[in-house]
Amino acid sequence: MTPNLTVRVLLGLFGLLLPLALLARNVDLATVPTRSTVQLTIYNSEDLTLVRETRVVTFKQGVNPLQFSWANTLIDPTSVELKFREPKAGLDVLDTTFPHDKPQMLYWNVHSDANREATIEISYFTSGISWAADYVAIADAEEKTLRLESFVRVNNRSGEDYENAQVRLVVGTINLVEKIAELAKVPVGRVKDEVNEEDYRELRQKAGRKMMAPAAPAPMMAMDMAAGAMQEMEAPKEIIKEGLSEYFIYTIEGTETVPNGWAKRLRSFEAAGVPMTVEYRYRPREYGEPLTRLYLLRNDTASKLGSTPLPDGMLRVFRANGRDGLSYLAAQNLKYVPIGDKIELNLGPDPAVVFELLKQKVYRDNLWFQIKGGNLYRKLGEDGFKLELDSQVAGWDEHTTYRQKIRNYTRKPIHVQIRREYPGDIVFRSRLNPTLHDFQTVQFETDIPAGDKAELDYEVIARLGYNQKQNRVELQPGEVNR
Amino acid sequence: MNRTRWLYPLGILLLGTMPLDVLARIKLTTLPVRERVEIQLDHPQIALVEEERIVPLVKGVNQVDFSWANTRIDPDTLVLRILPPPADQPLDAKVLSVSYPPNENALVWAVAASASGAARVRISYVLGGLSKDFHYRAVADHDEKALNLAQYLRVNNNANEAYDAAEFWAGVGERFGKPLGLNETREVQLDRFASVPVRKTYTTHPVEFGYLDRAQDKLNVPMHYVVKNAGGELGKEPLPEGKARIFQDDGKGGAAFLGEDRGKFTAPDDELKLYLGLARDIAVRRTVDRNERQRIAGNLYRYDVTLKYEIENFKDAPVTLDIAESVRQIRDQIRGDNGRDPEWQLGDGSLRTPDPEKSDADKLLFHVDLPARAADGQAKKQIHTLRLTLNNEW
Repeated sequence: MTPNLTVRVLLGLFGLLLPLALLARNVDLATVPTRSTVQLTIYNSEDLTLVRETRVVTFKQGVNPLQFSWANTLIDPTSVELKFREPKAGLDVLDTTFPHDKPQMLYWNVHSDANREATIEISYFTSGISWAADYVAIADAEEKTLRLESFVRVNNRSGEDYENAQVRLVVGTINLVEKIAELAKVPVGRVKDEVNEEDYRELRQKAGRKMMAPAAPAPMMAMDMAAGAMQEMEAPKEIIKEGLSEYFIYTIEGTETVPNGWAKRLRSFEAAGVPMTVEYRYRPREYGEPLTRLYLLRNDTASKLGSTPLPDGMLRVFRANGRDGLSYLAAQNLKYVPIGDKIELNLGPDPAVVFELLKQKVYRDNLWFQIKGGNLYRKLGEDGFKLELDSQVAGWDEHTTYRQKIRNYTRKPIHVQIRREYPGDIVFRSRLNPTLHDFQTVQFETDIPAGDKAELDYEVIARLGYNQKQNRVELQPGEVNR
Repeated sequence: MNRTRWLYPLGILLLGTMPLDVLARIKLTTLPVRERVEIQLDHPQIALVEEERIVPLVKGVNQVDFSWANTRIDPDTLVLRILPPPADQPLDAKVLSVSYPPNENALVWAVAASASGAARVRISYVLGGLSKDFHYRAVADHDEKALNLAQYLRVNNNANEAYDAAEFWAGVGERFGKPLGLNETREVQLDRFASVPVRKTYTTHPVEFGYLDRAQDKLNVPMHYVVKNAGGELGKEPLPEGKARIFQDDGKGGAAFLGEDRGKFTAPDDELKLYLGLARDIAVRRTVDRNERQRIAGNLYRYDVTLKYEIENFKDAPVTLDIAESVRQIRDQIRGDNGRDPEWQLGDGSLRTPDPEKSDADKLLFHVDLPARAADGQAKKQIHTLRLTLNNEW
């Protein structure tokens, strides 16, 4: 334990058999049992870490006062819990006292039925320790495969050094009714006034217990690991990934020391030769107005991935330039990707692909008139229809023909997907074999060889005013009217 | 001088998982120098710096410090890659973890090595303050049929970091190696395109270029040099946007400065248009000569519109005048904007054949050849008409 440790367990020797009231005396003698093990379970969806530490304490038969204090840390006082690991029987917590004059401290009175040494476990929630995933993707020069590295970065701003801690990271979201950091500042008496303490404890520890599930592997000590490194080359630590209910737990192999103020980044996994495809998409609602270039891959075993969902995190994309160097392509905030789901890396517009839409012709037909402002409508050209001066155009079909020009100046053939949204009563006429993405969005695709261009013609017929009977796009195969 | 520093600890610091704050107390370090630096400027906004260094490692776990001061390295973009060792010196090295000390621009890599030896590593990071821009120098020949186009790259170093030797790549042109000092701007010629065909255009467009004298209906006639990014050495890559200074061979061994313009990004097969100023020797008067409407039914009308252009070329040389119009603007001018695209047909005016490549549902572009003024100095006035029928307007 480093000298600046602030979480302390004091075992009162001098007043072992005395009532708590006498602990307020001015001369005290205490021993400080050190931590044997410490386990951190860190959530990334909330500023919450469950700390579980064990210490070996010697008890005398009878009542033993234990003091636990956590000055200058961000521990939630309502979450502190004491358990007996070994032996489990013969030891009982009689009561817990939060002294009124010392906000970051509590006393337990522990009854022991014999003189014995015991391993106790103290668990509590703290804030200030966080973890985040981040990713580095390096595509090969041909853009056929990429190497995806996933990292986890643990950041300790809790005010406490955690040495040789077993670190477990929780992927998933949990619900909290109050922030741990705020609770850490509130004296426990006030918390009790506001909400029943038991309810609080239950809420706080509910999520945590779920995560505590199987017994953690025994942590390796630092010197053991250093000794191991001398035998053969040390490999990057494995991060064991296990699913539990709606969550995924990453357990970092061995133990880690993350001093207060420091951050540490470890590789979660590395996958080389992940197959990917390049696609160009025009989807203004998703990617904005420019034609956007994407790398598409899948988080599954066929793609050499799929061992874990990909937690939210920043992903930076590079491409090998074939000369040992890299080109920086993009950074994006990757949203949680479940196992088996697709991964889309947005690289932004590509200056080597020119995307232009030309409006070529506009004309109107099927004109309907409202006669004298009444409920009578007549179509222009209908037999017997006269040029009524006070009749008004009430409905018409507007035909607009477009040419979508795409020029590919890259050295590779490209695949382009286009989605265009047309609100209203629309007929989309073309020979492009379009499909409907939804009731008002047309999707069509094309392949363009390297150095070539495509010209995609289509006609949009909007039924407007009185002519509008529906609110949907109808696909109609046919030649574009010129 | 503020330098990015690699701090490499010797054996006494090879203590594996020993707490990092203990390491911070006594340090013995070596400083592996940069063997090679590449600066990738191919991203539109971002400069990626790649340094290659030879790092001596001992067998076991090594702590490798990387720290920087007063530079805008984005620490989240740092990538350390250990390059494959030469076949005769097998050394397997792997990054175990990265630690970030508090309140410092630094990080510490824990690197495991299978044997003692030197590892060649490449570190890449995004560096703020390193920017680039392109610019051009175009020198037209005396008769303005061709020009020599030089493309320059300017690298501005406000990154508080000096590079004794760096290889640059701007996404276009060739790679080149140059030193780049602190706060230095380095300019290099990236490419040179000789005898590029150029078209000098004279254009009228009431919407885009406006009127010289609105009361007299006289249009502005701007001049451009138009270079197609195709053919010969051109057309292989896009021309990035940048300022172009334009000169013309004065026929006496010198060059006259004609002006400058900001050239837009020009993809292959597209045209780079450089504005030269207004032509004062070509007069174009545009009037609406005819505007008649015919009721079809109820409030539905057809409009018959004729625009008249009276054109005089006071130059000694024949030129081609480009007359551009927006049909929507014509419709709005004669009957007001109703929010709908105009439906139109070309009538039997003298301007009947728009340039199909540069015309669409709204824009019309006609090329009109103008003879040089006569020997007696008189310019022959040409009259051209554009007749349009606007259908189904209400």
